[in-house]
Amino acid sequence: MSIYGSAVKNPITTIMVFVAVIVFGIYSFVKLPVDFYPEMEFPAIMVFTSYGGANAADVERNISEPLENGLNTVSDLKQIYSTSRDNVSIVTLEFEFGTDLDAAANDVRDALSMYSSALPEEAEDPVIFKFSTNMMPILFFAITANESYAGIENMLDEKIVNPLNRIDGIGAISLVGTPKRQISVDIDPRRMEAYNLSIEQIGGVLRAENLNMPSGNVEMGQMNYPLRVQGEFESSDQIKDIVLGSFQGKTIYLKDVATVNDSIKEMSVDEKINGQQGIRMLVQKKSGANTVKIARDVKKELAKLKKTLPSDVKILTIFDTSEFINHSINNLSKTLLFAFIFVVLVVLFFLGRWRATFVIVLTIPISLIVAFIYLGISGNTINIISLSALSIAIGMVVDDAIVVLENITKHIERGSTPREAAIYATNEVWLAVIATTLTVVAVFFPMTMVSGLAGIMFKQLGWIVTITVVTSTIAAITLTPMLSSKMLRLRSKQKTPGRFSHQRIVVPFLDKIDNFYVKTLNWCLNHKRVVILGAIGTFVLSIVLAVMYVKAEFMPETDQGQISVAIELPAGTRVDETVKIARIIDEYIEREIPEKTLVSTSAGSDDEAGFAALFQKSGSNLINVTIALTTASERERTVFEIADNMRTYLGTFPEIVKYTVSTSDQGMGGSGNTVDVEIYGYNFDETTTFANDVAERVKKLPGARDVSISREKSKPELRILLDQHKMSQNGLNTATVSTIIRNRVVGYTASQFRESGNEYDIVVRFDENFRNSITDIENIAIPTQAGIVRLGEIASIEEFWTPPNVERKRRERIVRVSVTPYKVPLGEMATMIQAEVAKLDKPSGVLVDVGGAYEDFAETFADLGMLLLLSLVLVYLVMASQFESLKMPFIIMASIPFAFTGVILALLITNTTLSIIAALGAIMLVGIVVKNAIVLIDYINLMRDRGYELDEAIKISGRSRLRPVLMTTATTILGMLPLALSKGEGSEIWSPMGISVIGGLAFSTIVTMVIVPVIYRVVVRRVESRKVKETEELEFMEA
Amino acid sequence: MKAVFITYNQALTEKVEYMLEKLNIRGFTQFPSVLGTGTKNGEPRMGTHTWPEQNSALITIVDDNMVDVLLEKVQKLDAINYEVGIRAFVWNVEKTV
Repeated sequence: MSIYGSAVKNPITTIMVFVAVIVFGIYSFVKLPVDFYPEMEFPAIMVFTSYGGANAADVERNISEPLENGLNTVSDLKQIYSTSRDNVSIVTLEFEFGTDLDAAANDVRDALSMYSSALPEEAEDPVIFKFSTNMMPILFFAITANESYAGIENMLDEKIVNPLNRIDGIGAISLVGTPKRQISVDIDPRRMEAYNLSIEQIGGVLRAENLNMPSGNVEMGQMNYPLRVQGEFESSDQIKDIVLGSFQGKTIYLKDVATVNDSIKEMSVDEKINGQQGIRMLVQKKSGANTVKIARDVKKELAKLKKTLPSDVKILTIFDTSEFINHSINNLSKTLLFAFIFVVLVVLFFLGRWRATFVIVLTIPISLIVAFIYLGISGNTINIISLSALSIAIGMVVDDAIVVLENITKHIERGSTPREAAIYATNEVWLAVIATTLTVVAVFFPMTMVSGLAGIMFKQLGWIVTITVVTSTIAAITLTPMLSSKMLRLRSKQKTPGRFSHQRIVVPFLDKIDNFYVKTLNWCLNHKRVVILGAIGTFVLSIVLAVMYVKAEFMPETDQGQISVAIELPAGTRVDETVKIARIIDEYIEREIPEKTLVSTSAGSDDEAGFAALFQKSGSNLINVTIALTTASERERTVFEIADNMRTYLGTFPEIVKYTVSTSDQGMGGSGNTVDVEIYGYNFDETTTFANDVAERVKKLPGARDVSISREKSKPELRILLDQHKMSQNGLNTATVSTIIRNRVVGYTASQFRESGNEYDIVVRFDENFRNSITDIENIAIPTQAGIVRLGEIASIEEFWTPPNVERKRRERIVRVSVTPYKVPLGEMATMIQAEVAKLDKPSGVLVDVGGAYEDFAETFADLGMLLLLSLVLVYLVMASQFESLKMPFIIMASIPFAFTGVILALLITNTTLSIIAALGAIMLVGIVVKNAIVLIDYINLMRDRGYELDEAIKISGRSRLRPVLMTTATTILGMLPLALSKGEGSEIWSPMGISVIGGLAFSTIVTMVIVPVIYRVVVRRVESRKVKETEELEFMEA
Repeated sequence: MKAVFITYNQALTEKVEYMLEKLNIRGFTQFPSVLGTGTKNGEPRMGTHTWPEQNSALITIVDDNMVDVLLEKVQKLDAINYEVGIRAFVWNVEKTV
């Protein structure tokens, strides 16, 4: 028995099957994690190698180059690039998207084991490191304090960090900018030398005094007493009274040569949060953990923990990625709900019957819920891509049910019982329903096979739409007939329909539209040439408009309400000076950006940031500012405008060498929206000069913002050049001298002061006033057997400039000039830059390439082009087999160009750029648009087979099919309308898709209903050749 | 004994079966799916894309006195909606075993 027959005859089974689907769906839905984008591992592996004591150029030659050569053979490798800095080399291997990184890491490991013997012996073993989006902190807190600031590090560790670490899914919690308590013994070198002492001696005394030691046992009577010397400092006050020795009969105390301070360690970084001393706390999640859930847990736990802290300690959120995710997802869910309501209203409007509407609308939740089962099984998340896919599907899933229900209704009205009508009516249309679904699948299924960055985004979209539409078809031929057989009944024709009934208001209105359409169609059939020429004209005009006015970009930028500013002052600027500029900028923000909710400024670098410093440039001359703004809907200016004002302001500082103001931190693949000019060449000076020339020219282009050069400015360093001869005369060597200098400038950690279980360093060094000029350094006394020598006597101090980093790509040296376009599309910016670069005189041996996000952009659009082609071919195949004709598909596909015309018009009217999202919308249209034409052509063919004359058949079909076409189109358009109109957080990403689909579908539907019948009339002969042939074969009947 | 051949739109299956049951006609042979078209203006029932509907048919052998009763009911059934269609034809049964 047929599937629909069984469904109608076993209603309980049918309901149970669908209830099972719903239960599974809800189960998956509840367990699904929520995220912003589908999970994407940026397929890169980094290899770190440290090579102590080597400068950037040495590291490049001895580490980076051999590693690049060795690793170049790893399979699936897309690109290899490296950065060499003083002491460290970072080689980054970028793989093709979709590469299994674990396997790749093994390959890299194998390759390294072969080549590491070629590295210098002093270099440490290379460390492999996988980059992942999980490393991005999900929460960023600012902690400020007044009185408690001094001891805050331990307090935070105990009361906040450790308890939070116990939350499931937390990767790491780190504190940046914590003050460290340190006991500093600041020596006055003059006095020290006068007493014939040295830093090492003083340190030795401190170490010898700060001691607890068990000293054996004493047996007295019946008892055994352990002996113990208790010499450890009990308070830091004690230290200054330590006796160092005696000089000329006088006891020398530490306080005679030094000042002892128990305070906060001198910091090379200055953290200010809303203008207050502060610390930043970063929370990272474990791979695959649910961002939203962790953020919620952390915030809940934090609210409890806050109570245990002193009242002056305040914890503020700088940014919370989960908030943006939550807002976007809520926004989309609302969109989905509105779409649902619209679809219900459309169905009700056309059918005018509650029961029928209910039967049709029920397919929506069932089809959509299956998408959650898919997401659950495939380990995906609820994210903006999966939710917008549902938004797209919502208007399409009712189409099949509508067709089936219409036919069932027709049979019931002819007097069949609902049960029989349900079976036989479904039997009549089920094949046609499956065929139209196939055309939609033909467009969406190829999306699951797109490779590259676009693939990651479209895979889910393709699967979800395919799965929901297929489910809707299954529901339409099982559940819909079953419910119809139970719920529909013959309507008794009301003699006098009510004044405001559907019969009196909507039906006459629809009749009017029908009549108008048939009149129009009639006119068009009589003026075929005019209509066809007009249509071609419109299409050509729209293409011209597109080329002239539609701007292309990669991804629409989102207003995430956050600005990150990175400012670079001249290399070697002191922290104090950097801090001064930071304060001026803070004031500007306070004055000019009233939309801010939080400002976090850090000036200088945290020298102990360690591993993190490898990702972030650090230096005493850098300022980083993060500004959090109120939500997009609450403010007048967009984040882009505020950022641009900020740029203008920063441009007025002569001290600022370079600045970038960025407005996103969750960019796709991290590459952002930049155009990079890549300059390859071995000669440092040539390429640097050329890069500067390029940057100068590019800066003058309209819309070019944040122009920056990747090769950092050479930084000054003081080199101490020791004279071997003089050193050996004094019995010294390089190691001793450098240790001595280090102890005096950086400090000598003599011992640890213990207090309530914590240890604090006791550092002995020169007072700051005696170590801040070249003369001071030259005056450093170096003890020898013959007395003391001054450093200046055995060495000279000179200033040198060194390049701090060497970057390589494709195994060649490279300098990147990157540009962020503002209000200018990426593609256009790239073209302008290419034109500018072409004008420049390129030194020989220098190669220039334009890449960056633009590269991804071009690649992705090429992928989309392929996708479009594939969809067209598949749609053709499906239709050709459906109509058993090679000609019919072409008539139907005549509606596709007008879909693109509609897209172009919609983009122009709404002033939207053609991003990959909008382009994707255009591709989807291929499947959606042809559905209308299929319905129409199929019916015309039917009428002709039933013996109507060609013109007559076209007109009858037009009248009969207009309503179903309008109805399915209206559900799709209105289903996407909330998507197109939404304005909240994250809407910049998906609204272009809604706009392009609505524009394309609306325009093409109008055109289809006119142009397709006209083309049909022109192409199809009055009597089909098949019939002619048949009559020839059957001549025996002729007289 | 008369043979009554009834052809009808598939959509009438349940009604036809109900009719036979009510008239206590137990014996019949059913052809669930037959194709055909009416002599005058009946729409073709070919089970094709062009003419998707199909007919069913059944033959029942009844006593002579039942024939008129049966034909009357068939006519009533047809009157519900002429578009759907049901026809009955009667002929003699010469012999049975």
